[in-house]
Amino acid sequence: MLDMQGISKIYRTDLIETHALRQFSLRVEAGDFVAVTGPSGSGKTTFMNIAGLLEDFDTGRYQLDGTDVSGLSDAVRSRLRNERIGFIFQSFNLIPELDIFDNVDVPLRYRGFSRRDRAERIASALDLVGLRSRMHHLPAQLSGGQQQRAAIARALAGDPGLLLADEPTGNVDSLMARQIMDLLEEINEMGTTIVLVTHDLELARRARRNVHIVDGQVSDFWSLEPPAPGLHAGLVPAMMAPA
Amino acid sequence: MNWNLRPILVAIWRSPTGALLVALQVALALAVLVNAAGIVQQRVQKVGRPNGMDTPNQFVVAVSGFTREFDYTAMLATDLAWLRGLPGVVAASVTSAVPLLDSGSSAGIRNAPGLKAGRQANIFEMDEQGLAALGVRLVAGRAFSAEEILPPAQGNQALPQILLTRALARVLFPDGDALGRQVYDPLDRPITVTGIIEHMHGNWVDWDKLDHVAIVPRVPEGPQALYLVRTRAGERDALMRRVEEHMATSDPTRLLLWVRSMSSIERRAYLADRNLAIFLTAVTAALLLVAALGIFGLATYNVAARTRQIGTRRALGARRGDIVRHFLLESSLVTTAGATAGVALALAAGYWLSVTWQLPRPGLLHLSTGVAAVWIIGLLAAWQPARRAAAVPPAVATRTV
Repeated sequence: MLDMQGISKIYRTDLIETHALRQFSLRVEAGDFVAVTGPSGSGKTTFMNIAGLLEDFDTGRYQLDGTDVSGLSDAVRSRLRNERIGFIFQSFNLIPELDIFDNVDVPLRYRGFSRRDRAERIASALDLVGLRSRMHHLPAQLSGGQQQRAAIARALAGDPGLLLADEPTGNVDSLMARQIMDLLEEINEMGTTIVLVTHDLELARRARRNVHIVDGQVSDFWSLEPPAPGLHAGLVPAMMAPA
Repeated sequence: MNWNLRPILVAIWRSPTGALLVALQVALALAVLVNAAGIVQQRVQKVGRPNGMDTPNQFVVAVSGFTREFDYTAMLATDLAWLRGLPGVVAASVTSAVPLLDSGSSAGIRNAPGLKAGRQANIFEMDEQGLAALGVRLVAGRAFSAEEILPPAQGNQALPQILLTRALARVLFPDGDALGRQVYDPLDRPITVTGIIEHMHGNWVDWDKLDHVAIVPRVPEGPQALYLVRTRAGERDALMRRVEEHMATSDPTRLLLWVRSMSSIERRAYLADRNLAIFLTAVTAALLLVAALGIFGLATYNVAARTRQIGTRRALGARRGDIVRHFLLESSLVTTAGATAGVALALAAGYWLSVTWQLPRPGLLHLSTGVAAVWIIGLLAAWQPARRAAAVPPAVATRTV
């Protein structure tokens, strides 16, 4: 589903060069649920941006669902984002002037679905997150947790193969955070690949695999059973090596 | 193509203040534009209408006797002989009036004896070089000969013949050719029409009978005299200077009042119309500029305030073109709302202006052109902010600050 090999990304200003990712390699198989953790400034968001085709990288190779994305035009990248990736943002990023129905409709309109098809998909996605009865509410009329569920519905409505979640529980209380994680697990069980970027290790442990990033590189990697402190059980060096 | 109109409309509806103010600006600008365009067009047509004369090569000299020794007839003979003898002068005539000078005389001309009222016309008294000095075209009949010119009117002298402009001839004789027919003076004396002039202007620029002109073969009364001089092309200015110098010094019994080119007389006649057209054009341009700035300002504000939203749309699959289209559509909807209100306002203002000031009401052409103009201006004003919006990178969606 997602295959990054030797990815490097440097942010340059007149005086400073920041190496956000260095020789970063990660492969995520279809149907996987991977949590990416790391301290602030470790490169999590840069990884998320590159994985979601929101940003370009400097060197390396990235294949998304078998498509090499290097050198693609903006229009093609936009189409890939629209068709194959669903985004869940920390701040929900719902459009405040639009009700929940229209918010979920945003990516579907760019996709060019018919009105009827869109309405069915929106209803189905809102059903999944339990917000169908609130479809004509404005975001401001919903709680933080409900807004994030609406954002999840928006991410799922186009039926993407990959769901990228950037700190999806960052702006909700702990109870709501657990509910959102339950929902993500449910979605994953239905076959959608999920990459979750979080600094919350408790939540990360609910993913099938964990990747820890430090200084733009994968430092630890384990799967299913979290390791005891100090141990790196399940570390898979082969997954970190360039292909 | 999915135009995404409904969500944009909904978004405007939920936060309407800025859009409403800009739409009002557009409405006001359109109402002024449409009505001003009609008035300006009318004035431009008026200023640009042909007068049938050789205006660039004509000038007028006004003199007046002021001493007991002054001999009007002798002065005319001397001055006209001198003027006609000048190299470069095509023709010179004494005249009772000058086209568009805003002074002169008019009279009612009857097409049958016994009528109480005639057709009003500008009356010009001129000599045998009158037509040549005017530079007008005679389309039928003949000009006056020197022998036919009557001395200055004393009492009610009968006129044997008259020249009419075609416009006047048509209203006097709508059933056919006026040449050779007779018109009648207020004492029911017949006057034969001996020539038809294609077109010329009379005395008063705002008179609706400006092109109803009759020329009679008679020397106007003194002691003031007007000489209309026509020169060869390119020699007018030099001759004006020479004539001015001569007329000021050649006869101590009279004064030189003024020397003016026909172009200058015409320019002065249309000065108010020209100034009104310029003023209205400037005001309309200023209002359009304000409306364009309003649209630009609103679009710029929207882009700045929605940077995160734009990034989110990009992340969700919007191409740069989708973002440009979104903002242009949003701006167009505001412009369209303003234009719709503007059309109603323009029609109401046009009705009021026509009733109060007899000004032309805006026609369909003015309305449609005005709407198209504000629409194009709206698109151009929103273009740069829309392009800036399209340049917002999708990665903005993941920024938390």
